[in-house]
Amino acid sequence: MPEWEPKIVAFLCNWCSYGAADLAGVSRMQYPPNIRVIRIPCTGRMSPKFILAALRKGADGVWVSG
Amino acid sequence: MVGYIDKIKEISERLLKDGKVDMVIGFRKGTMPMMNEPHRVKSADDVKNLVWDSNCGINLANYLTDRKEKIGIVAKGCDSRNIVTHIIENKIDRDQLYIIGVPCKGMIDSHKITNAVSGEIVDVVESNGEVTVKGDGFEETFNKADVLQKNCAVCIHRNPVIYDELVTDLVEEQADVDRYEDVREIEAMSTEEKHNFFDDLLAPCIRCYACRNACPLCYCPTCFVDESRPQWVGKGDDPVDIKTFHFLRAYHCAGRCTDCGSCERACPVGINMRLLTKKLEMDCLNLYGWEAGLTLDNRPPLDTYKPDDPEEFIK
Amino acid sequence: MEFMGIERDRLHLSWISSAEATKFVEVVNNVTEAVRALGPNTHFIKNEAKVA
Repeated sequence: MPEWEPKIVAFLCNWCSYGAADLAGVSRMQYPPNIRVIRIPCTGRMSPKFILAALRKGADGVWVSG
Repeated sequence: MVGYIDKIKEISERLLKDGKVDMVIGFRKGTMPMMNEPHRVKSADDVKNLVWDSNCGINLANYLTDRKEKIGIVAKGCDSRNIVTHIIENKIDRDQLYIIGVPCKGMIDSHKITNAVSGEIVDVVESNGEVTVKGDGFEETFNKADVLQKNCAVCIHRNPVIYDELVTDLVEEQADVDRYEDVREIEAMSTEEKHNFFDDLLAPCIRCYACRNACPLCYCPTCFVDESRPQWVGKGDDPVDIKTFHFLRAYHCAGRCTDCGSCERACPVGINMRLLTKKLEMDCLNLYGWEAGLTLDNRPPLDTYKPDDPEEFIK
Repeated sequence: MEFMGIERDRLHLSWISSAEATKFVEVVNNVTEAVRALGPNTHFIKNEAKVA
C-alpha cells in the first residue's frame, strides 16, 4: 500500500490567492501536490456548506484563502 | 402570569375595533394539554379564544415573515428579540407592527412533565408557581421552577426589548445564571469525545425538520436541505447527513439566534440542538460583544467590518 | 468546527495577495504539514452507496 498522502481542498479567491498560485506556477516554484484547487469568484462566495461538503466527500483538510 | 390574558384580550379587542391592525397573533388553547397553538385573530369576536399561560413557548415572530398587513403581536422577551432580528433583516416593517409586550417568567417544558408522570395527561392547571397535572388515576403537582424549559431557566432577557404596550409591569431579570455551563463542558472534551458526544446527541434525529420549521430565523424560501442541485445533504437518516443538517443550521443562526428554545421545544425526540446554536451565540458574545435582537440601531457583527475584528485564525 | 468534533487543524484560513507567490508556497507547505500530522480524516465522511 502506498504511503498515505493528505488530500486538501483549497478554495482560492480568484483575485488573491488564485493569482498567487498562478504566479507561483509561472515562477516555477515548488509546492506540495496535495492541494486540489477550487477557484471561487471571491472569498465572499465561501459558504460553510462548501467546507462540510468537502469533508463529507472525504477531504482530509480544507483551506480557504482570500 | 395567568392574569395577563385579560389585558391581552382587552388590547387586542381595542386594536381590532379601532382598525389599527388587521390581525392579532397570539395563542389559543391547543388540542393537547401543554401545547398551546398560535392563533390569528382577525375579528373582535374571536378575541375570546386567546389564552396566555406557561405553555406559550412557540416563538410567534416566526409568523411575521414577509407579511404585508398590519399586525398586532403578543411578544415575550425572546419573541421581541426575534422581531427585532426580523426588522433588521427587512422581513417586516416596524410600522406594520403593534407589539403587545408580555414580560415572561419562563415556559414549561412539556417533555419534562410528560416524562415525570406515567399515563396520559388530560388536564394541566397552573397557579402560584405550581403546576398540577391530572390524568387517568393520577394527579401530581410540580414546582414550576423545576419544569421550566432549559433555555428559560438560564434566560437573561425575560422582558420584551421593544413593545408598543405592556400587559403588566416589567419583571426582574435573572442575574446570577451561568448561561454557558454546558457549552464549556463540551469545549473541555477532546476531539474524539466531542465527536462521540454529538454522534450520541443527534442519533435519535429523524430529520422531521420540526426544529427548522419552528425557528423564526429559518425563513429561506428554499432551505439548503431541500436543494438538489447540488445536493448538500442526503435525504436519509445517515448520521453524517443528520450532522450536516444540524451543524449547518446552527451556522445559519450564528449571530441571530436568541436562544428562544423553539427548536428544542418542537423536537419530537427531545434533542438538545441548542447546544450548537448556543456555542455560536457564546462566541458572538465573547468575540464581538453581541447579543442578537437587543437593538435596532446596530448592524449584526457578521455583516459589518471593523478593523479590530478578531482575526487570529487567519494566517 | 472544533466544537463539533473536527480537528482544528483540518480547516485553514489565510490571506494572500496575488503578488505573494512565496507566501502562497509557504502556506501550502504549512497546511499540508498540519493536515499530514493529523492523519486521514475519519469523521464526517459520507459513504456513498457503491455502484458496481
